[in-house]
Amino acid sequence: MSESVLRLRDLRVCYGSRPPVLDVQALEIDAGEIVCLIGPSGAGKTTLLRLANGYVRAESGELEVLGSRFRFGLDDSNKQRDQTIRQRIGFVFQGFNVVERASVFNNVLWGSLGRQRGLGVLLSRFPESDQRLAMGAIAEVDLLEQATRRVDTLSGGQQQRVGVARVIVQQPDLVLADEPVSSLDPVLAAEIVELLVEVARRHGATLIMSLHLPALAQRFASRVIGLRSGGVVWDGDAQALDDIAIAAIYGSETSLPAPESGR
Amino acid sequence: MTSKVRATSHPVPAPPEQSLTATLRRATGMIALAVAIAWAWHGTGFELGRLASSLGPLTEFLGRMTPPDLSALEVAWRSTAETLQIAVLGTFLAVVLSIPPALLAAANLTPAWIHQPIRWVLALMRGIPLLLLALMFVAALGLGPVPGVLAIAVHSIGMLAKFYADAFESARPGPIEALDSAGANWLQRVRYGVLTQVAPDLARDTLFRFELNLRESLVLGLVGAGGIGFYIQLYIRSFQYTRVATLTLVILVIVVLVEQGSVAIRHRLR
Repeated sequence: MSESVLRLRDLRVCYGSRPPVLDVQALEIDAGEIVCLIGPSGAGKTTLLRLANGYVRAESGELEVLGSRFRFGLDDSNKQRDQTIRQRIGFVFQGFNVVERASVFNNVLWGSLGRQRGLGVLLSRFPESDQRLAMGAIAEVDLLEQATRRVDTLSGGQQQRVGVARVIVQQPDLVLADEPVSSLDPVLAAEIVELLVEVARRHGATLIMSLHLPALAQRFASRVIGLRSGGVVWDGDAQALDDIAIAAIYGSETSLPAPESGR
Repeated sequence: MTSKVRATSHPVPAPPEQSLTATLRRATGMIALAVAIAWAWHGTGFELGRLASSLGPLTEFLGRMTPPDLSALEVAWRSTAETLQIAVLGTFLAVVLSIPPALLAAANLTPAWIHQPIRWVLALMRGIPLLLLALMFVAALGLGPVPGVLAIAVHSIGMLAKFYADAFESARPGPIEALDSAGANWLQRVRYGVLTQVAPDLARDTLFRFELNLRESLVLGLVGAGGIGFYIQLYIRSFQYTRVATLTLVILVIVVLVEQGSVAIRHRLR
């Protein structure tokens, strides 16, 4: 049996007094899994990912991330979790979140900041080993030719590749990707998702990503988790995800809209 | 050929009516402005007739300034150089002293209980006139350019730190969050997430402040804090207006040159 990377028990996340945005009885993701979260907007995909790296706090329940356990609602003993655990969790963002005025190389190199100590790093003195790691990551995402270019001169797909290379340099055990391709065209989107899956496999990291296209999930993930209204409504092999399951996850939203009535 | 938008068969809704309160508000604003101008006009005894009659003395004064006495050129260049030095060093010190309070005054970097009070202090500092500061430093340190440098530095902090803080706040939060999620600490996030993003803004603000400082340091000499202002005041008091003219021309040249230079630099910032 492989060790679990993420485990949720009776977990509820609420924003204010509205119904919970996430309400999960039990969910476990094992090391090495390639998991896709799908579901309509507001289903809780982003909340689940941000909960995992500590950007969102739960109201109640139990969360275990990379062997560290957090109990919500009982005490506030979770305050220290952030930086130590976060360093082991890579995050790929919907909006790329690269520093646009900086070069590809620097953006990627800054993925190593969590390991850097001392003030020398503030003067751009990074260890030789991390600089080499950065070049390796840039090669891995196929941006060697653009390595010294400013990120704001790159296309969206290339900018997300920078985001992926930054995560490679971070050397995380768990990679979270929140809608990493929703602003890219379908061909580029598939390329980036494929790259993410390859990178996770090659570096032995667990990958959890939310996607807005079920087709991409079917094609690249090993496991698909369907979320709806904050709850897990489907969980299984990506191969088992059929149209009926997709319709159930997305509800009536996938049914054809009624033709507009004229006047 | 472009097709025209077909006229709709629906009844067109009436456009929104001018609300009475909006009209009243605008009228009140206009009246308040007119009252303020009338008040100032009356209070200062501003009369167009008197202005016209003072044209004679004015031209006579200008006549006494010509031709510029070029023997004052040497003094002009030397004291202008000192003024420039005061502006350069004063701005440099201001930059160094502004960065820490600016970091603390940025709402995206510190909680409200830190950045709000700091912003109030900066606003207070902006309220202290330069000449008052210069007088204080001259009293403490004696005549010369050093009190001028300090006056310029302290005077600049209130504005420069606020501008820097505003620039920090304009940094996109996404990249900062990305560095945070990679485990970067506060200093690292500021250095690579914030400073990298807003560096051109900081440079622009600094250049702007330098231009202001150059112009403001011209008058520092009036209170004995160094620079060309001292000689202007000296020559005016001894009625050597042709020398004053030379000094004024040199100041003009320097100010224009510095402005041109800073425009050229600003063009290159992106």
